[in-house]
Amino acid sequence: MAIVNGEKTAARSAPLTETSFIGWLHKNLFSSWINAILTVVSIYIIYVAVKGIWVWGVEEAVWVAENRRECFKISKDGACWAGVIQWLENIFYGRYPRPELWRVNLGGLLLVVWMAPLWLPRVKNKIFIGLSTVFLYPFLAGYLFAGGDKGIFMQVVVSGAIICLIGNTLHTIIGVFSGGGLPENLTRLLGKTDASDQNQRNTLLAILAAAFVVVFLLQMGWTVEVVPWTKWGGMFLTLVISGIGITSALPGGIILALGRRSRLPVIRVLSTSFIELFRSVPLITILFMATTMFPLFMPEGFVLNKLVQVTIAVCLFSACYMAETVRAGLQAIPMGQYEAAHTIGLGYWGTMGLVVMPQALKHMIPNIVGSFIGLLKDTTLVSIIGLFDILGMLRSISQDVPWRGLHKEPLLFGALLFFIICFIMSKYSRHLEVKLSAGANR
Amino acid sequence: MKPTSFITSVAAIAAMTFAGATVALAKSTLEIVKERGNLRCQVGTPSPGFYNLDAKGEWYGSDVSICQAVAAAIFGSKKKLEIQSVSSQVRFTALANGESDMLSRTATWTLLRDTQLGLDFTAVNFYDGQGFMVPKDSGITSALDLKGATVCVLTGTTTELNLADFSRVNKLNIKPVTFEDSNVRNDTYLNGGCDALTNDKSGLASNKAAFPNPDDHTVLPETISKEPLAPAVRQGDSQWFDIVKWTVYALVGAEELGVNKGNVDDMRANSTNASVRRMLGVEGNLHEGLGLSKDWAYNIIKEVGNYGEIYEAYMGGGKLGIGIARSGSANALWTKGGLMYSPPFR
Repeated sequence: MAIVNGEKTAARSAPLTETSFIGWLHKNLFSSWINAILTVVSIYIIYVAVKGIWVWGVEEAVWVAENRRECFKISKDGACWAGVIQWLENIFYGRYPRPELWRVNLGGLLLVVWMAPLWLPRVKNKIFIGLSTVFLYPFLAGYLFAGGDKGIFMQVVVSGAIICLIGNTLHTIIGVFSGGGLPENLTRLLGKTDASDQNQRNTLLAILAAAFVVVFLLQMGWTVEVVPWTKWGGMFLTLVISGIGITSALPGGIILALGRRSRLPVIRVLSTSFIELFRSVPLITILFMATTMFPLFMPEGFVLNKLVQVTIAVCLFSACYMAETVRAGLQAIPMGQYEAAHTIGLGYWGTMGLVVMPQALKHMIPNIVGSFIGLLKDTTLVSIIGLFDILGMLRSISQDVPWRGLHKEPLLFGALLFFIICFIMSKYSRHLEVKLSAGANR
Repeated sequence: MKPTSFITSVAAIAAMTFAGATVALAKSTLEIVKERGNLRCQVGTPSPGFYNLDAKGEWYGSDVSICQAVAAAIFGSKKKLEIQSVSSQVRFTALANGESDMLSRTATWTLLRDTQLGLDFTAVNFYDGQGFMVPKDSGITSALDLKGATVCVLTGTTTELNLADFSRVNKLNIKPVTFEDSNVRNDTYLNGGCDALTNDKSGLASNKAAFPNPDDHTVLPETISKEPLAPAVRQGDSQWFDIVKWTVYALVGAEELGVNKGNVDDMRANSTNASVRRMLGVEGNLHEGLGLSKDWAYNIIKEVGNYGEIYEAYMGGGKLGIGIARSGSANALWTKGGLMYSPPFR
């Protein structure tokens, strides 16, 4: 006996617990007596905490005052943000001369302009743009920040960087509005579309050379005042050190990881001992070694730039950590992939660059970003060896006579800044993971 | 060329090279500083009264003024100065390895440091000493009343050792509560985490001034340690040692003689006091022994002021001062019962 209904049963509406807000509350927060009690208690704790912070940090807080004593006079139980506000320039730029601050800002802006095309979908040749960011931008920014006389090497690199920046920007604008890139459009503009490839290339090279000469002559008249590194500080210094560390960590780490997995004993042993040596010592020890012990081995009166020493130390340290992350990623790639690559005739670098690394890097993203975030926070250790990075500045506020003892507010402000930066980094890494694993969701 | 002559010439070249190297090494600190065009003066991480950063990123404080005075003595301008802020763990290394030319920071002059760390202390510019602070309503009026008390103290400092000594000698059984960070120590003290707070008296004064209710606390009269603070230089360059030492004496001497920033031009032009005339370079050749210009002391006073002015500005009641009374303390002039005394300028 079969009951067969010829008509399709009409769909019932979803149960109330799934659609209404009250239903949701009932299901998630008040499903039993115990849960209800826990919910109420938790809400109360959150309320007390948030209210306390709100009253201290906003309601009772003092925003404008000449010194801490005045803050106390206005409100004894509130935060004294006035001190942090007065110190904002120190916190962001350190002791950088105030009339020259535009150079730091311009440097930051240039980085954004330079890197923005990497995120725009219609722009081509992204690899070239990425490489130029790593190899040319640092020189331009470095000169902008440090200033002084340009040696002949600096003049050439700075001219190259400026041309690259102009080229990048034009390329991006053309790319966004018309698709295509700068080289094709230049050839079309010159009416050489039908000329031979060699002819086209030579024309482009000639334009490049002409542009280089023009820019080189123009930049000769452009110098900015020297700002010694001792005046660098605050958030700016933190970003410079960790920026260089982050940029050099990945290439350095890949080389070390490949070295460690190499079949050549010398390379393997050297890489392994290098990695193990730097990984088994705390960063602060490396920093102390680099800044205080190193000059003792040098001839008397020979003073190396402390900032350079610190940056090199941070780079080596982060490369070693990165090497292990990369090695973990490499080990996740099954042997079959190597064999498949060999079958189609790829050599070592072909296998690594075209088959293994692209897959491995995708797996590594969470760990890589994790170490970048860790590195950004670790660089605050340089405040211990006497560089006034952001932490050094935040701690100095409590010693400045008008603001004596003001230490909670600056540290909270610093925590907030770090949270914002790290959160953006981690969100971006999530986005990257989703984008790169698009194939897996097909 | 015969082998012997070849060897001789190699030896000669080697000898010349080494001689050159020795000459280069033997260059005096003054020459190095003059060649470089600025003085590298080491201070510590910011500490109220002695060295601080202001909101514009400039250094100020009494020890910074000593650095400025030495720069003014050498170059005639206090601006030819690079202040290096170095943490206390590496302060002596940074002087020994040539990174800094001199040290002007709160380093107590002790026999051990003077003899075993390769440095020489010049002339005391501040006499400090360790003391105690208690809440007024505790009723404690003497450090000897602190029997069994808990005392907040920074760890890893001589302050901690002095406290232990004091407790043992007087059988007080004081329980130290140690901290790494002075701000956390102060907060704990304010919240009642310990009965008393111990620190150098200059530090106590500046801590107290930063409390929400400074009048609720009192500094006990006892001073349980001697902390003479003096600029220090590397051992083995007595000319440089003399320059730094006499810069401090010029600051004190100027105060003794009534020369200050405001009247120094007038004094140089019109003073009939022979000591003043010698000091400011109007008469005599006192500068020659130091290897400085004739108006070195004039430049110091013109650029920085005398000792009293520096004290008033950063240690005393000035706008940036931490409010330690000078009269009656060891830092008053010897004519007023203190220990500040300059050898004669003649």
